[in-house]
Amino acid sequence: MTEQISPFSRVALAIAFSPRCEALLAEVKFLQEKFDCKLVFIHVGNKTLQEEQYLKHLLHRFGLDKPENEVIWREGEPVETIIEICQSAQVDLLVAGALEKESLINYVLGGVSRQLSRKIKCSMLLLTEPNIHPKGFNHLVVEGTDHPKTENTIATAVLWARNYNSKSLDIIQENDLSKIALIRSEELKEHEAGERKKEILSEEDQKLKEIIRCSDCGNLAIHTERIEGKPGYVISKYAREKEADLLVINSPDKPLNLLDRVFPHDMEYALGNLPCNLLIVHPKGGE
Amino acid sequence: MQVLSHYENLSLILSIGLLIIAARMFGEFFRKFKMPLVVGELIAGIILGPSLVGNYAPGISEILYTHNTNASIALSGIINISIIMLLFVAGMELNLSLIRQQGKAALSTSVLSLIIPLGLGFVTAYYGYEYYGRNSTDKVAFSLFMGTAMAISALPVIARTLIDLNLFKTKIGSIIITAAMFNDLIGWVLFSMIMGMLKGSANHSVLLTLLYTVAYAILMLTVVRILINKSLPWAEKNFTWPGGFLSLSLGLAFLGAAFTEFIGLHAIFGAFIIGITIGDSVHVTEKMKDIVNQFVTNIFAPLFFISIGFKVNFLDHFNLQITIIILVLAFVGKIFGGYFGAKIGGLGNKESLAIGFGMNARGAMEIILATLALQANLIGEEVFVAIVIMAVITSIVAGPMMNWLLKGKTTADLT
Repeated sequence: MTEQISPFSRVALAIAFSPRCEALLAEVKFLQEKFDCKLVFIHVGNKTLQEEQYLKHLLHRFGLDKPENEVIWREGEPVETIIEICQSAQVDLLVAGALEKESLINYVLGGVSRQLSRKIKCSMLLLTEPNIHPKGFNHLVVEGTDHPKTENTIATAVLWARNYNSKSLDIIQENDLSKIALIRSEELKEHEAGERKKEILSEEDQKLKEIIRCSDCGNLAIHTERIEGKPGYVISKYAREKEADLLVINSPDKPLNLLDRVFPHDMEYALGNLPCNLLIVHPKGGE
Repeated sequence: MQVLSHYENLSLILSIGLLIIAARMFGEFFRKFKMPLVVGELIAGIILGPSLVGNYAPGISEILYTHNTNASIALSGIINISIIMLLFVAGMELNLSLIRQQGKAALSTSVLSLIIPLGLGFVTAYYGYEYYGRNSTDKVAFSLFMGTAMAISALPVIARTLIDLNLFKTKIGSIIITAAMFNDLIGWVLFSMIMGMLKGSANHSVLLTLLYTVAYAILMLTVVRILINKSLPWAEKNFTWPGGFLSLSLGLAFLGAAFTEFIGLHAIFGAFIIGITIGDSVHVTEKMKDIVNQFVTNIFAPLFFISIGFKVNFLDHFNLQITIIILVLAFVGKIFGGYFGAKIGGLGNKESLAIGFGMNARGAMEIILATLALQANLIGEEVFVAIVIMAVITSIVAGPMMNWLLKGKTTADLT
């Protein structure tokens, strides 16, 4: 981990004038204070005078009607339009509200927030229970899988935890069954198989230790744990059991589609039933 | 109800015990030379069966593999069950999400290492049909089988080779594993279709067979997969565990096998797809898979592999011409397929060639495929022997060739 500059200089909020709109505004206001970022408010839909006045009123009420903040109204298909705006406005983090669990039909067809998280090329924060009086995030659970994106994800999570004065951060290394299981499928003695497995895993452990050693963690309590199971499912289950406030994971390597929902993997397990708020970290400038 | 007589029962039990022990002894001996257990088990059957010992001392061979009519029928039944269980375990090792997530290099390798050997196997068998000896008169089915036999890979052998060469976590390792899984999945679907086509000519049309295959696979991999995934936590809570998992998973495997057999497809297809369905569940742990795997691969697999040598006389049916044709086709198809796939995916010459050789290992899966084809009279003994030899040679050659091609490259270079 080399630098601690803020990964989020431009943060966007997808506004839908839902009952949770005010809470979401309060959360992004809090986030702006923590990261000293510029805000972009995106609404996809008809720009009626009434809605425009209402948004102005809300922004004023939360003290968000500053000149550096921007409001973008656009008509079109919500998901594609928001992605386009985020790209053109060089947004680093998109914030949206999301239900903990969607109905099966909605999940398969894809609600706006979840669809955005599957396709967007910047980081995304899905808030399951935004609060008009934001409480921050005390306990973070972070993906520690052996992947090129993980170092940046952990760095982002540590910075996030420090900015929010979080108490603890758990880094979870998920043992991918598909690969580990193959070791036992061939003819090795039990201790030989154990040694081979240990060799493979110790390499990952070393990498993770190096990442943590380099990070500027301050007083943050960092705990690492290795759990066997399917990546994505294991970490979601852990976050739910530990009642985490924020789950931080790597962004998907390529946009996810319907087949990824039918045959879920990684992030889809979390999206299927969000265990808590979810931060999907996408490397800056990454594809 | 008819039961085995005292003598028949004794003959059957004696055979099972002796075969399992002989297979293990030979397997362990060959393991010392870094060869897969399956090679030793197979050679045990060839040495102890009619090819060698049985030729000079038939009495010994007959004790080992019962010649009593009723007992040998029972033994054949157990061996058929072994094949179903082996396919179930093979299905459990497949990872659908890994196949789904594959990157560009893995995708191109998967596709080309399947299509090139498949096409080559099909075309050469179709136009050179007479060079393959006595086989099924259904030329298209035989040619399709030869294509499938060239396309299939042996995941366990490949995984072992990658671990031995410390390539398991490299990019090359990931590409080979993903492509091998993809090849196996498509290969077994194709094989089931061919078997269905053979049976189908009597019961229903080829089109209906294809429809049944696809419909069964889709239903199992979507609706049934979700149902099994949802039911497993309940079963874990209410049954003794993981023992209950062994019963439930194998029970479902046999039900799946029975269903596909009933609708005119081969039983192995049902077990294979159920294996994928169960193995994909988030509730199935490594320990649970391990229990099923140990049970099947250490009792039923040796029984199956050693029995091959007792059923076919390898010396009588060895045909140099057919063996060379099949060996050349297997090497050329898979190595070029893997090579071009990896090259298109952006890998260097040596790395791509190493992937080709890695993919070339056929191992146990090829032998199962050939045995089923022989049972169905799709291929004759000569082609069967040639395919078994090819499976053994490709499995032995894969490791040393990859090692030679990647010599001097560090793990970091290949990541």
